[in-house]
Amino acid sequence: MTRSDVGRDTSSAWLLVTQREVVVRALNKSFVVGLLVSLGLIAGLMAFFTWQGSRAETFTVAVEASDTAAAATVAAAAAAARAAADEAEESGGPGAERVEVMVLEVTGDDAARAALEDETADAWLSGGDAGWTLTTLRQPDLELVGLLTATVREEVVAENATAAGTSPEELTAGSELATESLDGDALDPGLIYLTSFVLAFLFFMGAVGSGAMIAGSVIEEKQSRLVEIIATAVPLRHVLAGKILGSSVIALAQNLLFGVVGLAGISFTPWAQALPALSASMVWFVVFFTVGFVAVAALYAVAGALASRTEDLQATTTPLMLLLMGIYVITFSADGVLERVLSFVPVASIVSMPVRVLSGDAQWWEPVVSLLLLVAFAVGAVLVSERAYRGALLQTGGRLTWRQALRAEA
Amino acid sequence: MRVIRPVRPPPSVEHMSPQHTDGPDLEVRDLTRVFGAGPVRAVDGVSFTAPSGLLTGFVGANGAGKTTTMRMIMGVLAITSGEVRFGGRPATTQDRRTFGYMPEERGLYPKQAVLDQLVYLARLRGIDATAARAEVLDHLDRLGLAGRARDHVEKLSLGNQQRVQIIAALMGAPRALILDEPFSGLDPAAVEGMVDLLREHTARGVPVLFSSHQLDLVERLCERLVVLKQGRVVADGAPADLQSTGTVRHRLVVSGDAGWARGVPGIHAIDVDGPTALVEAVDDTAVQRLLTTALERGAVHELTPVRPTLAQIYREVTA
Repeated sequence: MTRSDVGRDTSSAWLLVTQREVVVRALNKSFVVGLLVSLGLIAGLMAFFTWQGSRAETFTVAVEASDTAAAATVAAAAAAARAAADEAEESGGPGAERVEVMVLEVTGDDAARAALEDETADAWLSGGDAGWTLTTLRQPDLELVGLLTATVREEVVAENATAAGTSPEELTAGSELATESLDGDALDPGLIYLTSFVLAFLFFMGAVGSGAMIAGSVIEEKQSRLVEIIATAVPLRHVLAGKILGSSVIALAQNLLFGVVGLAGISFTPWAQALPALSASMVWFVVFFTVGFVAVAALYAVAGALASRTEDLQATTTPLMLLLMGIYVITFSADGVLERVLSFVPVASIVSMPVRVLSGDAQWWEPVVSLLLLVAFAVGAVLVSERAYRGALLQTGGRLTWRQALRAEA
Repeated sequence: MRVIRPVRPPPSVEHMSPQHTDGPDLEVRDLTRVFGAGPVRAVDGVSFTAPSGLLTGFVGANGAGKTTTMRMIMGVLAITSGEVRFGGRPATTQDRRTFGYMPEERGLYPKQAVLDQLVYLARLRGIDATAARAEVLDHLDRLGLAGRARDHVEKLSLGNQQRVQIIAALMGAPRALILDEPFSGLDPAAVEGMVDLLREHTARGVPVLFSSHQLDLVERLCERLVVLKQGRVVADGAPADLQSTGTVRHRLVVSGDAGWARGVPGIHAIDVDGPTALVEAVDDTAVQRLLTTALERGAVHELTPVRPTLAQIYREVTA
């Protein structure tokens, strides 16, 4: 018997545990299926926004062949609609949906009415000196009414102005309402809200999903007493570190994947303009999530260790689940001062700070400070968890509380 | 008359080679574990030695403290008082990392392939990947599991899971083996295969401590025996020594009815069945008196000391 193998090198045990966690997770069927379903949902959502963004509502307006004034007005309205749509596209954001106006020339009023009846036309515009009338089968579409009203007014004002020896410009001079926004680059608030919702959702799903996995992997080893074999071979600290790192790697990879697919999808939607801002926000989210998840994973590992059988997991993980769910609900709905406060509160900041970065109301130093707070919290959580994990893991007599775990001697 | 000499158990292969080597012994000294506020002394001042190169059997009723003792030896349960020594000095965490351990309750990763998880467990013990793989495959082959290397553990029968579990304990040339019920649930052929494996380790000078409820097995295999009762050691020694300290009985076979043996002074007839009598003698003079009387009465076919089986000793010491 040589003594050369005394005190075998176990310094890289954490790496082995990490590798195993990652491989086992990546090969887990329900994990892979869940991932694919989530990716499918994201891709589907993006496809929906793309479709909605590119969708044009087409109105067919009937005019009587002899009614040249009406024909001219509809043509002008169609041009105005095209111009508005182009402008919206340039400024980014989903804006109003595109409107297209088509002319359907009919001969005689009866033909016009027939076109309405059989729905080949959405409306019938008749004009001239007798006054302007828009006839529809049912309630008229307000967007069409608005567009045609503005066009008719413009045309009539122009005519009246000419008749009065002046020009429409002179008549309407000084009546423009200039718009000026203090926050000129502000993004569509809808987009910000949607982002906060998506980030909160990613956080919640990632934290709870990966958390449950780590708790399950801890109890699997505890219940089978594998942990006794492992604990006699390597320091338990390494096992915990490996589990946290392994889960974090998976959670990070998962969020990166979601982020890339989501951002790629957004580039096809009318929000493509906001891509740089969204990407920055996403990067912050991934960084925050990765750091924050370390804390969540550590707490979930303890929840796993507190149980004595798989059946206990429900009870030991519920408090964490509720906490995360609370953070989820409060972060996606928070705004104003509450959001500002939450963006510095560890774990909630994972969602709130990236959203504030996106909306542009965070100073450059704010995410940095918030991240440092989160790092401090994660370190604290890992240290406390490490003690509780070691205390609880080798106890075999039923479910434990945090207090018992922290007090326990191996 | 055929024989008048002690009948020893036939020398088995297992009993021929093993002897105490100069490798490190595993000792426990005054090991005590108190549970709860009660308090329950699950293990109460237990001392014994599992000598290097020998198989030490650890027996006792359920709840006698075997598992608690083994868990304290492995350091997975805190010791209330006393100590575990290895190679003549207190066992360190580093020492324990080189021990092979098979816990009481069985379990492995149910959804991982046999080969993968054994390699993982071996690598945790500091063996490099290639060597771990070779060693695992070798062990699987020897225990007849070569074809199951890629199967998930949950697909294996309990007996096969047990073999996998034992392989996990034997990886990486452990310097001591602490095995809690390693033979339970194994068929006789598997037991033999396992014993051969354990013998290889004792031949390296490794102390092997294993618990078992199968006394016949323990009797056949062990060079040392420790009997625990309610947390205390009630017997400790070589099985043969323990057997000679137990009450020796004699069997007498005569040509006629042996009922007269009941009346011989100093002889307590336990059982008389026609020409055969099983007796306990107060001393050797009484045995001689029994023989003389028997010869006076006719032919004596057999007078044999009957060594108590381990089961009897066990019943006596744990009664």
